[in-house]
Amino acid sequence: MKKSMKKAVALTMAAVTAASLTACGGGDKAAAPAETKAADAAAPAGDAAASDEKVELTFSWWGGDARHEATEKAIAAFMAKYPNISVTPEYGAWSGWEEKQSLNILGGNAADVMQINWNWIEAYSGNGANFANLEDYADVLDLTQFPESARELCKADGKLMAVPVAMTGRVFYWNKTTFDEVGCALPTDTDSLLAAGAAFKAFNEDYYPLALGEYDRMIFMVYYLESKYNKPWVENGEIQYTAEEIQEGMDFLCKLEAEHVIPTIATINGDMADSLDKNAKWIDGKYAGIYEWDSSASKFEKAVEESTNKPGQEFVIGDFIQFGENKGGFTKISMGLAVSATSAHPKEAAMLINFLLNDPEGIEICSTERGIPCSAAALKVLDEKGLGNALVKEANAKVTSYAPFALDTKFEHNDLKANPDGVYYKVFGKLSAGDIDSAKAAQDLIDGVNECMGN
Amino acid sequence: MQKKSFSKFLAENIGFFFVIPWLIGFILFKVYPFASSLYYSFTNYDLFTGITKTGMMNYQKIFTDEDIIRAFQVTFKYAIFDVPMKLAFALFIAYILNFKLKGVNFFRTAYYIPSILGGSIAIAILWRAVFNTDGLINTVVTLFGGEKINWMASPNGALFVIILLRVWQFGSAMVIFLAALKGVSQDLYEAASIDGAGKWTQFFKITVPIITPVIFYNLITQLCQAFQEFNAPYLVTKGGPNGATTLISMLIYNNAFLRHKMGMASAQAWVLFVIVMTFTAVAFISQKKWVYYSDEDGR
Repeated sequence: MKKSMKKAVALTMAAVTAASLTACGGGDKAAAPAETKAADAAAPAGDAAASDEKVELTFSWWGGDARHEATEKAIAAFMAKYPNISVTPEYGAWSGWEEKQSLNILGGNAADVMQINWNWIEAYSGNGANFANLEDYADVLDLTQFPESARELCKADGKLMAVPVAMTGRVFYWNKTTFDEVGCALPTDTDSLLAAGAAFKAFNEDYYPLALGEYDRMIFMVYYLESKYNKPWVENGEIQYTAEEIQEGMDFLCKLEAEHVIPTIATINGDMADSLDKNAKWIDGKYAGIYEWDSSASKFEKAVEESTNKPGQEFVIGDFIQFGENKGGFTKISMGLAVSATSAHPKEAAMLINFLLNDPEGIEICSTERGIPCSAAALKVLDEKGLGNALVKEANAKVTSYAPFALDTKFEHNDLKANPDGVYYKVFGKLSAGDIDSAKAAQDLIDGVNECMGN
Repeated sequence: MQKKSFSKFLAENIGFFFVIPWLIGFILFKVYPFASSLYYSFTNYDLFTGITKTGMMNYQKIFTDEDIIRAFQVTFKYAIFDVPMKLAFALFIAYILNFKLKGVNFFRTAYYIPSILGGSIAIAILWRAVFNTDGLINTVVTLFGGEKINWMASPNGALFVIILLRVWQFGSAMVIFLAALKGVSQDLYEAASIDGAGKWTQFFKITVPIITPVIFYNLITQLCQAFQEFNAPYLVTKGGPNGATTLISMLIYNNAFLRHKMGMASAQAWVLFVIVMTFTAVAFISQKKWVYYSDEDGR
C-alpha cells in the first residue's frame, strides 16, 4: 500500500477513535468564524500586500477569553490594513488543543498561522519539514526585533520554525492577606519557609503556605537543585545530577510535606479542582503560595481578589527563595507563532505575525495577552504607552533577570508531563503517597527522563 | 433475453444493492481500521515518525509494565463493581416504577435524566462539588459531627466516586427493564398470590426468571461500556490518585493522541478487546444455565 494512503487511513482511524473516545465531551473549542471582510480600501503602497489578489488565511490559537477578544480585534485591524487579506480565526481552550492541532499538522490541515508551544518545534516540526522557514520571509517579518538567542531556540534543522512570542519562567507568589492573618513573614529562605509551615499548622490545619501539584514539584525540585549545585537539569541530552543529588531533592519535598509547608498530593486531589487557580482553597486563601509561570499571575490574582467568601485579598510577587549559594530556576519560550508548511500564502501569514508582534497597532491591541513580548518593538510600544498588566511585567522582569538556566527541549515532553501516566505525575504522586521512597523516586525519575531522551 | 436475466438478477438481489452503501462504510471505517490496528499493534508505529520496528515489543511491555498492568486491574475492578451495582439499581427502580403510583411518569423521566447528561463537563463539576473535601457530602457529614472524608486520598475511595457516577446514570438500563417488566403476565402473579407467594417470592421466582433475557442483554451492553469507560475518570479524577482510577482507555487515549504512539495504543486496545470478548463469551456460554427464553425450545 502506498505510504500516503496508509497515512490517510491511519488518520481516519485516529479521528474516528478520537471522536468515539471523547464521546459527548462537546469540546472546549469555540471556533468562531468571526470573519470580518475588510472593506475595499487601498493597500499601502510599496507593501507586500499591494497586490489585489484575494488571500484567505486561517489563524489558530488557544487561550482564555481575554486573549480571544484581543486577538480578534487585532485580526480585524490587520484586515483593515490589508483589505485583500481575510483571516479566519480558530481558537479554543488548552484542554485537548494539542491533540487536535498535532493531528492537523500531521494531516496537512493546520492553520496558516499557528500559535504553538515551544516544545511543539521539537515534537511536531518533523525536523524542519512541517513549518515554514520564517527566515525566507524576513522581508515582511522583521526578525531583528527578536533576540538571536531566542530565535536560535526556535530552530529545527537550521530553519526558523517560529518566532518567539514571549519568554517566561516560574516565580513565587504569595497571598499576603493570609500570611498577615497567620502572622508570618513571606518566605525568603529554607528556614523561613519551614517556619511558615509551622505557623500555618498552628493557625489552622487546613492552611498551607505553599501548594504544589505533581508537575509543580518537578519544577520546584529542579529550582532547589540548581540553587544548591549551580548546574542545569539537563545538558546535551544528559541529566546533570546524580541519583543521590536528586534523592536529596526528593527528600526535601518530603520534608516540606512533613513540616506542613505543602499539602500532600492526596489533599490537593481531594479538592477535586481542575487547577490551582480554580481551587476553592486557593481562592479563599487556605493555600497561600504558588510557584507559577509569570504569565499566569493575573488569573491567580483575579481568583483571590474576586473571592466570594474573602474578597480583596492581596496577591504579591515574592522573592526567589534561597536554598543554596546559587541562583536557580529557568526561563523558556512560552510560545511561538509559526506558519504551516502547507500554507498557500506563507508570505501573507508572515505579515500577520509581523503585525501582531511588531506593528504598533497590533502590539497595542494584543498588549500582554500572550505574556511579556520578546519583540523589542513591542516592548518599546508597551513601555511608551504604559500598556500591559503591571504584575505580569514585574514578574517577568524578575524571573528573566534572575533565573540563570534555559529549559531543556524535552522537559515538557508528553512522556514526562502527561497526566496521569507521565513520569512526573507517577513519580511525585507515588512519593507523596508513600508508595515509593525517595531513592526509588529518584531512580524512577532518572530512568523515565533517560528513556524519553533516548539514552 | 439478456435484459430479462438482468432484471431477474436485480429483482433477486435488490436487497444487496440497498446495503451496498452501508457495506462500503462498514468495510472502510470498521473492518479496515480493525484489521490495520491489529497490524499496527505489532509495530512501533508513531504518527510522526512512521514504523521503524516490528515485533511483539508492545505486548511484552503491556504484560510487564506495572503501570499498564495496574490500569488493566483497575479497569477490571471498575467493571466488576460497576456492572452488578448498576443492573441491580436499575432493576430495583424499574420494579418500583412498574407499580401504579401517583406521578409515576414524572419519576420515570426524572430517573432517566442523568443518563441523558452522560459524561459531560457539567456532570464532572457537579460530582466534584459533591465529593470534594469541602463538598456537599462532607458538609452533611460534619453537620452530624463526623470527620471529613477525602475521597481522593485512597484508591478505593476515588474508584468508588467514579463507579457511583456511572451507577447514578442507570436510566437507559432502567427503561429496558421497565419494558421487560411490563411484559410479564399479570396472570402469573395472580396465580402465585392465590398459592400464597409473597412479593419477594414473586419477584425472585416469577419476575426475575422471565426477564432474564433482558438482564442478559443489559449485562452484555453494560459490561462492554464499563470496560471502555473513559469520561468519568478523565473528567472527574483525572486518573488519580496515583493511577488508582487510571482505566486502560485513558492510557490508550494518551498513547494515541498525546504521544501519537499508535502501535502501543493499538496493542492496548487489542488486549482490551480480547478481555471484553472473553467476558462476553463466558456470559453467552453461561446463559444456558440461567437465561430463560420462552421459545419452542424453552431455554
